[in-house]
Amino acid sequence: MGFGDLKSAAGLQVLNDFLADRSYIEGYVPSQADIAVFEAVAAPPPAELCHALRWYNHIKSYEKQKASLPGVKKALGKYGPADVEDTTGATTDSKDDDDIDLFGSDDEEESEEAKKLREERLAQYESKKSKKPAVIAKSSILLDVKPWDDETDMAKLEECVRSIQVDGLVWGSSKLVPVGYGIKKLQIQCVVEDDKVGTDMLEERITAFEDYVQSMDVAAFNKI
Amino acid sequence: GPQELALLERSLGLQEGNKYGVQGERKIPVLQTNNGPGLIGLVTIAAYLVKQAKKEQLLGSTAEEKAVVQQWLEYRVTQVDGCCGKEDTRIILKDLNMYLEDKVYLAGNNFTLADILMYYGLHPIMADLTVQEKEKYLNVSRWFNHIQHYPGVRQHLSNVIFIKNRLYTNAH
Repeated sequence: MGFGDLKSAAGLQVLNDFLADRSYIEGYVPSQADIAVFEAVAAPPPAELCHALRWYNHIKSYEKQKASLPGVKKALGKYGPADVEDTTGATTDSKDDDDIDLFGSDDEEESEEAKKLREERLAQYESKKSKKPAVIAKSSILLDVKPWDDETDMAKLEECVRSIQVDGLVWGSSKLVPVGYGIKKLQIQCVVEDDKVGTDMLEERITAFEDYVQSMDVAAFNKI
Repeated sequence: GPQELALLERSLGLQEGNKYGVQGERKIPVLQTNNGPGLIGLVTIAAYLVKQAKKEQLLGSTAEEKAVVQQWLEYRVTQVDGCCGKEDTRIILKDLNMYLEDKVYLAGNNFTLADILMYYGLHPIMADLTVQEKEKYLNVSRWFNHIQHYPGVRQHLSNVIFIKNRLYTNAH
């Protein structure tokens, strides 16, 4: 997780993409998560990163209340998209180690190229040191599976759904939820790897059990 | 109409037992008050309910904010409610998407009655959009998803799902 270096254009771009469909860093209310990232960003993002700028100006309007916003400030690397590597330097020796800072120098003006190269090498160094495996983007999906009528064998219906075995799909808990007229729908949780399994495919496979399943809907969808 | 006003009452935390009726061909809502002829019109009644609930900040705090709130309440009744057909919808969504690029709420930084009534008014439209359309009107989707999560607003209305499909984000 994390956004990379929020003082760099690359980090701000990650923040911008992350905020395109979100009002806040976490959840739907301003929190210490927003304050933590706001303080790291330090200056208004450029106008072309319109989502980051919108968020920045909005959080700035909470400046007076920032101490009372809910939540607890965590390290920057804990926020942001799940599929970005945490390059916020959880290791302490990256800055002290002279071997890495091959092109940088406090006295000289860094050329764009040299700076880019240095950032790339830093990221590579961090990823070698990091013992974490590559983060796979996953989502938790809650599905509503509706039977034809109240006579449908819901145990068999559930069996059919769980019989769908695909790489990147893990079935979770389920329960029967009454929807009226004696009919119950199956509400079942699953965790999918975003690159391998999509809701369209799930719908196709589930509704293929025509004898039992009338329709399938996505009741909830959360990125993990 | 009356159903929406009942939703609004609950989202404002009111339990006044107000009585609503409708009048005319266009079924304009009417609120029977104890003294007087009754209040007519969605926006008029909504503003009255906000005051009844003692939540006047929902009508805007500064003069400018109040004007913006009124602007969107008017928009809801004149543009959204009068809208029929794909072309009208497209224009509304396009206008709203541009407007919301730099704003979290319709009035800017604060949640107001404008957000509530625009959410209720747009719900049937948003519920019918395809995945690509939701991605296209990204700012509207972001705002709508935010409002539907605001405590007390959505109630029994269906939760509209928004999925950020990575296929399309690279097109920006």
